[in-house]
Amino acid sequence: MLRAALPILLLFALWEAAVVGLAIDPFYLPSIRVVAAAMQAQSGSYLDAYLVTLAEAALGFAMGGLVGVASALLFTRLPMVKDMVLPIFIVSQTVPVIAFGAIVVLWFGNTLMAKAAIAFYLTFFPVTINTLAGIAAVDARQVALLRSFGAGPGAVMRKLLLPAALPRIFTALRLSASLALAGAIVGEWFGASRGVGAMLLAAMFNEQIVSLWASILVAAAVGGTLFAAVALAERAMVFWREEL
Amino acid sequence: MTATKLSISGVGKNFGAVRALDRVDLDIAPGEFVTLIGPSGCGKSTLFNMLAGLLEPDAGGTILLDGKPGKLLGRTAFMPQRDLLLPWRNVLDNALLPCEIEGLPRAETRARAEKMAVDFGLRGFEKHFPQQLSGGMRQRVALMRTFMFERDLMLLDEPFGALDALTRSMMQRWLLDIWARYRRTIIFITHDIDEAIFLADRVVVMSARPGRIKLDRRIDLPRPRDAHLLTAPEFTAIKRELLDAVEEESLKSFSA
Repeated sequence: MLRAALPILLLFALWEAAVVGLAIDPFYLPSIRVVAAAMQAQSGSYLDAYLVTLAEAALGFAMGGLVGVASALLFTRLPMVKDMVLPIFIVSQTVPVIAFGAIVVLWFGNTLMAKAAIAFYLTFFPVTINTLAGIAAVDARQVALLRSFGAGPGAVMRKLLLPAALPRIFTALRLSASLALAGAIVGEWFGASRGVGAMLLAAMFNEQIVSLWASILVAAAVGGTLFAAVALAERAMVFWREEL
Repeated sequence: MTATKLSISGVGKNFGAVRALDRVDLDIAPGEFVTLIGPSGCGKSTLFNMLAGLLEPDAGGTILLDGKPGKLLGRTAFMPQRDLLLPWRNVLDNALLPCEIEGLPRAETRARAEKMAVDFGLRGFEKHFPQQLSGGMRQRVALMRTFMFERDLMLLDEPFGALDALTRSMMQRWLLDIWARYRRTIIFITHDIDEAIFLADRVVVMSARPGRIKLDRRIDLPRPRDAHLLTAPEFTAIKRELLDAVEEESLKSFSA
């Protein structure tokens, strides 16, 4: 905890020193003290934005993680399905998410689900690809050993392939945590009234520079929360290191 | 007529145009300890993979286990060269892997594993993870896993190949001890002639590729065996005989 907090405090100190020392125009970079004071003054609405965006991003992230791992397992079991579906996955990723945004809002309305869907869209693919890579990296002799014990494809998957792929799955999840946040914020740009994205947009249009910086800090807090959750889960589940 | 545990006849294997194994005939009695020795690439591991059921012999060859043909997968206890322990499982859970796959009752097998861990010199290490163990210990865990998979026929593919000489000779004596206690039939692949003679009731020498049985030598040295045996005249006499056969084949595979 302290190790994570220290660099952040250092960054804030540098920020403040630069603003004061170089006499930077508050329009370009307001003092961190001013930003903090603004956040404190309206702590209720910033907390609301934090929670709303966190819920959207976390839901999309969870769906993306689950679908990503599940699709990779399915592809491994049924290579025919992989040959048919994986190209569609790849094509889907070539379309920028922003192009889908309006449609998703049209489908889901201005709901939590709409933002989660966009976050999901950004997160599942890296998880699929990394899970597949993790499974592909498993030693064939290891698989042969389990088969010699009479293990069928299901047991090989549960006892060997899935746990062996965990380090790579977590690499993808850490990447996906920040993608999910970006997805949720983009989702909010299509007419949401609550959340960090809505706040950013309002501050930008009204040229409320302090509020803009405050929103950025809240966004960073959401990203940090997601990332920390993944890191904690990783520490609990991948206590061993990749050595297969 | 004595019962045979394993009967291999006319077993061969081609990989594409390469003839890896050429008509192998071999009978092994229950409880016998047979070591298999031969130059690299002579098809020993191919033979093992077939006995473990991971590979089908080419048409014409038969493998009978307990006098019966049929699928071998899951019927022999196979231990590959590398220990292949799972890093996310502790010692006991690694040894229990085959029992879990078989779906045996948990509490019972766990109690059996805890008892067996003492014999395998793993007492006090049950909760350790493979990364925390020495090479010799990891190999004992892998062997224990093979023993936990209760099959009368055990296939050990160079289990001590990666160990230093001192650990290795200790492990050999220890294995004989374990073998005497658990009475399984063992086929043991090795590159080391001393090891082959020291352990075996019979040493089988394979030819260079395509692999065939070149020599089948009974070892009538008394048991239990200890380290002094390695310098006894009857041991060296057998060693000379086997060395000649192995060298001849090694030269062949070298010049091929």
